[in-house]
Amino acid sequence: MDRIEEIRVFFKRLLALRGDRQSFSDQSSFFLSGRLGSVDAVEVVVLLEEKFGIDFTETGFDEAQIDSIDAIQLLIRTAKSPSNVG
Amino acid sequence: MSVSLPTTPREFAPLGASGLANFRLIPRIETYPAVVSFAQTLLGKLMLLILFAVGLAYNHESWAPLVFFLTLITFLPSQRRILLTASTLVFTFLVTWKTYKNWPYVATLLCLTLLLGALLFWSAARWPRSWYGRRAVLIFLSGFAALVVFAATTPQDAWFSHPLWDFTYMLSTYIWFIGYSLLDAKMEGHDAVGLQLGSYRPFWGSTIETVGGVGWNTPFAKGAAYLRRIEARSAEQLAVTQLKGVKLLAWASLISFFADLYKHYVYVSLRIPTYSQALSLSASHVHLPWYLCWASLIANFFGGIISLSVLGHTIIACCRMAGFNALRNTYRPLSSRTIAEFFNRYYFYFKELLVDFFFYPVFLRCFKKNYKLRLVVSIFAAACFGNAFFHFSRDLNLVYSFGLARALQGFWVYLFYCFALATAISISRLRRRGPAPSGFIRGQLLPSFCVVLVYCLLDVFGSTERNYPLIEHFRFFAHLFNLNI
Repeated sequence: MDRIEEIRVFFKRLLALRGDRQSFSDQSSFFLSGRLGSVDAVEVVVLLEEKFGIDFTETGFDEAQIDSIDAIQLLIRTAKSPSNVG
Repeated sequence: MSVSLPTTPREFAPLGASGLANFRLIPRIETYPAVVSFAQTLLGKLMLLILFAVGLAYNHESWAPLVFFLTLITFLPSQRRILLTASTLVFTFLVTWKTYKNWPYVATLLCLTLLLGALLFWSAARWPRSWYGRRAVLIFLSGFAALVVFAATTPQDAWFSHPLWDFTYMLSTYIWFIGYSLLDAKMEGHDAVGLQLGSYRPFWGSTIETVGGVGWNTPFAKGAAYLRRIEARSAEQLAVTQLKGVKLLAWASLISFFADLYKHYVYVSLRIPTYSQALSLSASHVHLPWYLCWASLIANFFGGIISLSVLGHTIIACCRMAGFNALRNTYRPLSSRTIAEFFNRYYFYFKELLVDFFFYPVFLRCFKKNYKLRLVVSIFAAACFGNAFFHFSRDLNLVYSFGLARALQGFWVYLFYCFALATAISISRLRRRGPAPSGFIRGQLLPSFCVVLVYCLLDVFGSTERNYPLIEHFRFFAHLFNLNI
């Protein structure tokens, strides 16, 4: 499965646990809109650490960085860009 | 983020929800295109402001200047953030001047506090990679704790004792606001110092004199970073946000009216003792019947939810009228199915404060190899240590009146509450999360009842006036189960 698709499925599961079965797009806001809470943000952080090797102690953390699928894609790209290596 | 997005989780209810579940006392006028269009016209804006002023006059002392500044912001949306800073400074120095006994002295303390905040922010933003810039919040909070210890151990007859205390107390009312700006200093595209000042006790409610004249330290709508993200970007978004503001204020007024009836019915008609009275009687070894102990505890619990709802809704309604689509502070806490969920729904901005300042810093740095340990330690850092630190720094007047040692002694009960709360949240989070059981009783009623029961019992230690030792709270706890110790 595509990594971004994996993130989409992950968010779908988090929303389902909250009884939210409405659809979402890659631009949909999850945390700033209150659709998900900080409890769920923790799970997203762990996923990004484990699957994408993102270290938030290096990059700093802000819920806006993981607020949408698009924001997460940007975060992954930024974390892997050459300027952030080493 | 688009402000057309819902701001309450319930609005994401499954599509197949029943008609009764979708019933609303106040209709969702912000979804009616005709209403949204009208709210963008001159007449519509004036009508919204007048409606808001009428609602605000019912439950806010400083409603007139508040509405004046909201009017300015409504008609000059491109200058919103600058006007926010100007309004906040006018409120801080002028609108509340009557509450200050010695205005020049208080104004000097305020200037010093704001200057310190601005300097700390500027330094953190200017040198983000420096030793200070990387841990600005930690250094600030540690420095504040050291200042409290220094002020508390300074002999009261020293010439600088009183000004030192007054400055410490003034700073204590701003620490979380300054803290949020220090968090913002790390972010790309952060606001300049001038705009940060607008988030230091914003004029819509986190002022020293706020709803009911009670001081409040929790930053409602967090800091400048959050305000940037939730700000209305177009006339339509502003109209939707303001309609939501008017609705929320109407809801707050309804609850406020109900609160008066509730207090009269419970404490006058039913003659249920307040929790404070019941605890006092218990401490004097006058044993109330167990059911009256329960009644006072439950009445106190619901009274707390009602008061916090009115306060939070009023502040957030003003914030929305200013064009910031902030989430509600209290949202259907009684529908919570877990202890962690209740904490989130009951007092959202306090929970966010604990998460931002205590939970995330620990979670992102410690015990990365062991998820459960990492989670529990982070929960204890927030719900136990952070919670205790927040309340201790909020109630500095007790340190001034009784001294540091006695104040800490009186704080044991609340510390126990924080420990018990952190334990309960940890257990709640570590349990496997699965889909809710089907059926109203097993899926909703039973879990909600258990959550309310746990929080009611925790309230024995949480709703403390710090007048009695821990053993007296345990004595009251035992009375609930008809046990005399």
